[in-house]
Amino acid sequence: MKIFWPVFATILAAVAVIALIATRKITFWRIVDLIVGGIFIYAGVVKALDPIQFGIDIDNYKTLPWFISVRLAFYLPWLEIFCGLALIFRFLYRGGLSILAALTAVFIVATIAAKVRGLDITCGCFGHASKNWSFSTHLALDLAILVALVALSFRVASGNRPQNAV
Amino acid sequence: MKTRILTFTLSIFLCAAARAELKWEQTTADLHPAIGDKQAVAHFKYQNVGTTPVHFKSVHASCGCTAAQSQKEQVAPGEKGEVTATFSIGDRTGQQVKTVTVQTDDPNPTQATTILTLRAMIGTPFEIKPTFVYWQSGEEPKPKTVVVKASKDFPAKNLTVKSNSQVFTAKVEPAGAGEWKIEIQPKETSHPTATALMIQSDFPKEAPRSFYVNAQVNPPVNVPANAVATPAKNPAGPAQQ
Amino acid sequence: MRWRLRRRTRPVQRNNEIFVSGHWLRQAAVLVLFALVPAIGEAIYFRDKVSWQSPIPASELVTVDQARAWGDSSIWVDARPDEEFARGHVTGAVSLNEDRWNELLPQFLPKWSPDKKVVVYCSAQSCNVAREVAKRLRDEAQLKDGEGKNCVFVLQGGWEEWLKKNR
Repeated sequence: MKIFWPVFATILAAVAVIALIATRKITFWRIVDLIVGGIFIYAGVVKALDPIQFGIDIDNYKTLPWFISVRLAFYLPWLEIFCGLALIFRFLYRGGLSILAALTAVFIVATIAAKVRGLDITCGCFGHASKNWSFSTHLALDLAILVALVALSFRVASGNRPQNAV
Repeated sequence: MKTRILTFTLSIFLCAAARAELKWEQTTADLHPAIGDKQAVAHFKYQNVGTTPVHFKSVHASCGCTAAQSQKEQVAPGEKGEVTATFSIGDRTGQQVKTVTVQTDDPNPTQATTILTLRAMIGTPFEIKPTFVYWQSGEEPKPKTVVVKASKDFPAKNLTVKSNSQVFTAKVEPAGAGEWKIEIQPKETSHPTATALMIQSDFPKEAPRSFYVNAQVNPPVNVPANAVATPAKNPAGPAQQ
Repeated sequence: MRWRLRRRTRPVQRNNEIFVSGHWLRQAAVLVLFALVPAIGEAIYFRDKVSWQSPIPASELVTVDQARAWGDSSIWVDARPDEEFARGHVTGAVSLNEDRWNELLPQFLPKWSPDKKVVVYCSAQSCNVAREVAKRLRDEAQLKDGEGKNCVFVLQGGWEEWLKKNR
């Protein structure tokens, strides 16, 4: 789907506008929230639109039986969307953060495991739009997301920001 | 959180430790055959980095269209070689993925089997939708449209169509840059007939590519007749086909 | 367990979270449950289009018995390479493979009409060739039955299954 960049940019821009209006101020970490949340919402929407293909993509990892893969294919995208929303609107924030961190970490491990086993996977994390990306591109992006999520969790754990920041 | 980081790091080390005696330069090959190529060949190079000779038990491909073989059967320590996979493209289009399974006599079962992946993006000069138009016997002979889009690396300017059939006529209408609409219409649909319409492009000049669109009038179907005027009769109507 | 959750809950006055609802585990549980709702809704919507038990969409697969029951209103397509077809094929099947697609398709099409269901088979269930041929028939040739619905099916179990049932 060549609609990746325009759609993603629009979602991001819209969310940024909402956030700016709501808080009249925006910090770097808030932007990280929005970007990461946006990525997961985008990824979730793309997969929710074609759950059958996503089920096949999960099955390609050959770690789960088809029975589970197909049910997961319907569920995971929505989980991503809701957690992405949680990040953006800071509602159930910590819950969303932990779920996304867990998902990303598990996914990275699964991807590396599949690569080691010599399986050919066309990923599926960003739907079939990303099927032409190389393994390293996928891995790099996922690691970057994991790092961002971990950083955000540390900020939460450290009791958080000074009074005036958002 | 800490356990997650630990599992993640551990998995990286495990990957690093799992080095086969036979070390492959790459196990995935991305090929981009030119439009019109009949074959795509991938060379999977390897080297025996172990201390004992490696013997190939079998090298075989997932699909009959891919021929795979190893240069040598026995690889001495330090020796290099390659497995060649030749993918006969045939009339395939789009993204093709074929695998070659290599089995060696490595005592470690996970390292004994290697799966080599060959990925080839087969470009077509034209995207034709649909490649087949049909009418039912007795259906109104309205024209049906086939949309043809030329791919980016195929700068055809003109399409002409030839019909060998008495029944079918075809008209080509340009519909923008690199796009055409072909209108196909049968004169009548009373008799079953089938034909292949040849669409000729003007590129490349030396040997312009052509392709076919199939058109046919299907024979009448055996249906209990709403069409038959006398309901008292056998609903199957006159014997068909 | 409540005291443990209590202890880990942050003070309510947080500057930057609009809503706070306690322990992160509880938040995560809420999200996990919330996500189930649209997921189940979507699963219900797609219930007929998905093969819940095996990896090929149910509406595309057909068993040997089902296909044979179609009798004359079916046309069988052998998606395997020429040599395999020559060695043996389903009686009356038409050879249509990707090696010689452009040549074989015009030979197959006159035998088809919208009242005929197409049964594509190849060697063994895990083989993708039948699915690829079926997909091309659906996408490129756009074969559909009289009601505009799918009429191209893949034989479950493939050539081997047919052989078993014909011994």
